[in-house]
Amino acid sequence: MNISPDYSREFQRIVEIYEKAGGNATDLLKGDVASIIVSGQKVLGLNNVRGVSMESFSKDDVVIVKINVGDRVHIPSPTHLCVGALDKVGEQRIRFEIEVGEESEISFLSHCSFPFADDFAHIMEAVFHLRKGAKVFYEDHHFHSDSGGTKVRTSYSVILDTKSHFENRFYLTRTRVGRLELDMESHNNGEGSVVHLETKVYERADDRVEVREKLYLNAPESSGILKTAIFATDSSYANVVNEAYGNAPHVRGHVECREIVKGDEVQVGTIPVLRMRYDTSELTHEASIGRVNAKQLQTLMAKGLTEDEATELIVKGMLR
Amino acid sequence: MALVLDSISLRRNNSWIVRNVTLRFDRGKAYAILGNNGVGKTTIVNMIMGLEGYREHEGRIFLDGEDITALPVHQRARKGITLLWQEPARFQGLRVIEYLTLGGKLAVNPRILEDVLKAVGLNASYLEREIDESLSGGERKRIELASVLLLKPRYAMLDEPDSGIDLMSTEMIRDVFHRLKAAGSTVIAVTHREEIALLTDKAFLVCSGMVIKEGLPMEVCEYYKTLCDWCDHVNKPEEARMG
Repeated sequence: MNISPDYSREFQRIVEIYEKAGGNATDLLKGDVASIIVSGQKVLGLNNVRGVSMESFSKDDVVIVKINVGDRVHIPSPTHLCVGALDKVGEQRIRFEIEVGEESEISFLSHCSFPFADDFAHIMEAVFHLRKGAKVFYEDHHFHSDSGGTKVRTSYSVILDTKSHFENRFYLTRTRVGRLELDMESHNNGEGSVVHLETKVYERADDRVEVREKLYLNAPESSGILKTAIFATDSSYANVVNEAYGNAPHVRGHVECREIVKGDEVQVGTIPVLRMRYDTSELTHEASIGRVNAKQLQTLMAKGLTEDEATELIVKGMLR
Repeated sequence: MALVLDSISLRRNNSWIVRNVTLRFDRGKAYAILGNNGVGKTTIVNMIMGLEGYREHEGRIFLDGEDITALPVHQRARKGITLLWQEPARFQGLRVIEYLTLGGKLAVNPRILEDVLKAVGLNASYLEREIDESLSGGERKRIELASVLLLKPRYAMLDEPDSGIDLMSTEMIRDVFHRLKAAGSTVIAVTHREEIALLTDKAFLVCSGMVIKEGLPMEVCEYYKTLCDWCDHVNKPEEARMG
């Protein structure tokens, strides 16, 4: 990876934070692993491997990263996306444009870290286009400051061609959230395309979370699953809207929202929306809001854990 | 050193679930609480454990001389009481190793972990499995038994320890009882099966929330077989007693 000497110190610090956030810096710096490091509005480093072409530039204060994967390419190691900022105050705007060729397979491991944010906004937009038979696995881990001053607005938009497969997992469980607005939408335009979107968030203090997920099953025999799990504590707020539209025959969709609450001041809600046009299709939803399951709690308490310790352990599993 | 129930009673919707039960469980012995379904056996152990919905009862519970009636579940557990549930819960995303070590709070040698799993008929590969739908009820029961072995409680209450586990596993349950007793634990097994009751030192027969007979397991089992097994006066122990 080529690093500009001007950025070497910042690079070092962001890599340290990346490691603290659970990332593997060795992988990040390996020559045979595709990776990009973005700190604030600057791209500190970028590494391409055969079959993956990454380029970045800035336009209107937005860092644009274009990633192209050719046809019939299988990238064995995850492509690492290290994004963050060391500033307390400011804004970061990033747009990922990711195009994956026919019958190709790639996974992404993204870490977004804002450890010192007092009033910092991270605005990220990711647009994916998966060609026929492509497979993409995208995992996004967020690490925010303890002050609650991180504001994140993230959107994923996915277009799926025939028999392509997209999986996305978003995790914000180890630190405070601050403010999170998460929009995910999948357009299953190709026959037999499959999508799985999963979000897991642990809220503390006065964190606020808005999740909006939309699933458009536009082609026959396409399918999708939207899953959200939120653990809301203290005086946090969460609102989850899951929408699924069956616009073609023989489609299958499932939306699921599980919100576990602890305390008397949380505000949580969920709204499932299902719309369908063909009697050969099926859309289902499952939603639950409530405290931690009493039997699980008491099972662990009968082994000596306090209610708080038992809750932590149960939630740790649930949000994994 | 004993766990003593002094005249405990529990009433719900104007019906007695447990009526004036007085029992004594001495340290290092094995006991069976025997009886048909729905007679109050599980309620008694739930009351001892202090589970939600079972704490508002009459009478008192003493643990090695200390009144623990007002203590919450986890404090009773820390004093050495634990409960194996008839139907163990599922824990989505939680791995067996995390469950057995209580999220790392219990420092256990990996060899001991493997040993307790082996004792309940499971191998070490289960440590990385999640306690979710992928495990059968019987497998979860075995993991619960392994957890009890690991905790080495002073009083281990096992609610239907063999349910969900195939009949051939009576030997395994016997081994678990032996291990617990060898570690100085008192075993209190809730059961409706004679084979399990016969593994204990003393049995209590429960009907309609009352203890209607106690004594050597063989005698109590004989009484249970002849009077309770076919009795159509379930919850009418007086008539059952008259034969």
